[in-house]
Amino acid sequence: MIQKKICLLGATGVGKTSLVKQYVEGIFSEKYLTSIGVKIDKKQIETAKQTVQFMIWDIEGIDRYCGFQAKYLRGASAFIIVTDHTRSQSLVEGLEILEMVKEVTDVPGVLAINKSDLPASWHWSETELEEIKQGFRQFFNTSAKTGEGVETMFSYLAHVLTE
Amino acid sequence: MDASLLTTLGLIDCVVFKRVSVSEFQVMHNAGNWLDELLPETVNAKVFSFKQNSAYLEDFLIDAENLWIADKNGRIESGMWSEQLSSQLIRLEACAVVADHQGYLVVNKLDAKYRQKQQTLQIARELLLSTDRISAQHDYLHARFDELLSNQCNQALTAQQPVAQALAQTDLGVAILDPDLHLLNSNATLRSLFDDTNIKVNLPADKLLLELFRAQYPECERILSTASSWTGEIYWLNPPQQGKWLKLSIHPIKNEALKVENWLLSVSDVTQIKYLLKRNEKLTHFDALTNLPNRQYFWQQLETKIQQNRPFYLLYIDIKQFKRINELHGHLVGDEIIRDLSKRLNTLIHANDVIAKIGGTEFAVMMDVNHPHSQISSLDQEQCVKFAEELINASCLPFYLSSGLKCEVGLNVGAVAFPKDTHSAEELMKYADLAVYSAKKKALSCIEFYSKELIDASRKRIEMEDALRNAIENQQFELFLQPMLDLDSNKIMKAEALIRWHHANGDLIPPDEFIPLAEQTGLIIPIGKWVIKEACAILNRMAAKGHDIKLSINLSPRQVSDRQLFEFIKDTITKARVNPRNLELELTEGVLIDSYDKAHYLLNQVRQLGMSVSIDDFGTGYSSLSYLQKLPIDRLKIDRSFVKELNENNQDSIGAIILAVIAMAHSLKLEVIAEGVETELQKDFLKQHNCNIVQGFLFSRPVPFDDFCDLLERQKYSKVIPVSINTKHFYYRS
Repeated sequence: MIQKKICLLGATGVGKTSLVKQYVEGIFSEKYLTSIGVKIDKKQIETAKQTVQFMIWDIEGIDRYCGFQAKYLRGASAFIIVTDHTRSQSLVEGLEILEMVKEVTDVPGVLAINKSDLPASWHWSETELEEIKQGFRQFFNTSAKTGEGVETMFSYLAHVLTE
Repeated sequence: MDASLLTTLGLIDCVVFKRVSVSEFQVMHNAGNWLDELLPETVNAKVFSFKQNSAYLEDFLIDAENLWIADKNGRIESGMWSEQLSSQLIRLEACAVVADHQGYLVVNKLDAKYRQKQQTLQIARELLLSTDRISAQHDYLHARFDELLSNQCNQALTAQQPVAQALAQTDLGVAILDPDLHLLNSNATLRSLFDDTNIKVNLPADKLLLELFRAQYPECERILSTASSWTGEIYWLNPPQQGKWLKLSIHPIKNEALKVENWLLSVSDVTQIKYLLKRNEKLTHFDALTNLPNRQYFWQQLETKIQQNRPFYLLYIDIKQFKRINELHGHLVGDEIIRDLSKRLNTLIHANDVIAKIGGTEFAVMMDVNHPHSQISSLDQEQCVKFAEELINASCLPFYLSSGLKCEVGLNVGAVAFPKDTHSAEELMKYADLAVYSAKKKALSCIEFYSKELIDASRKRIEMEDALRNAIENQQFELFLQPMLDLDSNKIMKAEALIRWHHANGDLIPPDEFIPLAEQTGLIIPIGKWVIKEACAILNRMAAKGHDIKLSINLSPRQVSDRQLFEFIKDTITKARVNPRNLELELTEGVLIDSYDKAHYLLNQVRQLGMSVSIDDFGTGYSSLSYLQKLPIDRLKIDRSFVKELNENNQDSIGAIILAVIAMAHSLKLEVIAEGVETELQKDFLKQHNCNIVQGFLFSRPVPFDDFCDLLERQKYSKVIPVSINTKHFYYRS
């Protein structure tokens, strides 16, 4: 079995903790409770080649109260930038975070466009989104509430990291 | 005191490890019942090694080990993290310490601190999300209406289907006004904002909003007269019910010539957010980003200070061109800079001064003067200038950001004196705002004091801006052409197109009097487009007369940053059917360096189209060889200052610089143009040293199109070289 560290990053309130909770425990809560610091969860996943143990680092939302901490990415095998498609600014901040991540590591990163159970109300055009997605290895529409895209996203990472 | 008592009292809940050797530790103190479950390797072990039971802690050990190896007294902290045990979720923070050449690792269980921090941040972040959502709605609305309305000259169009749809679709209250602030259209949401009251509101919603804005923000007049955008909160007291807090955004919609076509008011009810704020007193009076007092607190303090009736200065401080920093580096970096800057400013504040963050990028300071007199003296003004300089100097030092970036900012400072300038809080703020607006217009950081002259100058400037705005519409611009001669053939090969403004009052205004203003106000974009169009029209008119001449046009920094510039050039050339080879762009060195990427991209595109490029004023700026090699350019124009100084006595010194530029340009296969040629000696020197093209009063001043055509006609029939400097007449010899 190999261990892989995955970092979840993104603006405040995009649903990083909820995504992990859905993926690891299959639980979702509507109540928004802000995270402080880091919480690490483990989950094993079988790929065609081997068993992977994910160490999923759920990192506090990056905003004016909590800056980007490059040290959290140390030893990471991949990262997920989570955005909320009901809030345009979450993608602006996600892209800023992507820039900062790229300064310190070149491990693969995927984009999670979360809250897909809600109607999209951000103002990004399809063309803009297509261009933005080019900056990532892959993108996923996810819902921490319904589970849509969550398993697929982590399975994709397991696949990429064991290739 | 016994550590176990402290633990029982709930004061500390921690474990302490002593570092025995690399990766070996000893438990010194274990107050927590959680350690055994978290790190079973510590149970009954005299010495233990970590066994990957806490990934976060072991990651922190990498940093800790560096500290321990350095063996200097100090400490580093891990930041908080959470661990899920079988029966509880615990919140921890570790700390590595070196004391007396011994390394320690302390792990604190901080459940209470975590809860407290979470509660504060929960409110702050809910607020952030709410305000973020509302701001996004306002911004989107502005963009949408800019698109829908900016090119509509006929105000009746505001009643058209897409506008009506946009009004109906938004959750915001919206009013569209004409340039004189008369209502053209509004939506039901706006009206409903003021419906839930038993008191009859006598004013229509749009008028009421403007009245509230006028009454509560002394900046109102300046914002409306300068066609600026503004966003802020206003309070509507609607007795007998509780008042309403409204977020109001005022946005001018301008046409292509940057003239206001409409005003857009958008409003949302933010009473709920204010209620959230009230749950946390700190957030009510302090700015969440910087921890400095906020606008509301500052107003209270200002009123109190005025009541004391002692002289003081009110300084209104705005961060220079902060929008550019946000655009370049993003909002997170922008926030980091504001936070760091506020710390720097705060350290310069004296004991009796008050500093507050009163807007997104604005601070205000009440500066006490140190004497018992009732009036401000000239010494006080000097003290204020000195203080402002200290603030500016503090802002000019580079900001080293966590991402490794380095940034510099500047400050605009406006100052007003109490009681010299006014006795009222509203006027103090209004005058300080006017003074800072004036400081904003200067390229460098500076302080401006409120004065009648300042206001007169500001008014004059606004009038000039208005006149400039109307100039395009009223066709008051004209392109003059200044010939450029090939030194080998003595023939006019090219001309530089130079704009002139025929002011309505009959004056002919040269570009150095209005281009800087146009650059600052953004009017340079429509003016620049007019120049490009007009240059194409002139090329066609010349072609019709049988002249095949290249025209060069100047590009300003702001034009280079305009994303639509290339598309515009391409469209205009295509529509006018002119040969792109007959157009040349001139850019200064400064533009190239400041906007290197944009300039590089643009120049590549225009060259592919067939246009050529020259570097203007070469030698006055950076004169960097590296960009000359990298950028797609065709010619260098030696700055007039070098040529002008060339005379019989200094051919060795000044001449050496010119020769160096010519040699360098030729080695890079670039042609050289010398501008500002006024004497035969200068021309002969340049010809002798293989300069390719010359331009200057010796040959001709910039002249209107017809006069330029005359020059070309005469040249056709005789070998001519103009020899005299004269604005009206031109003398030639064969």
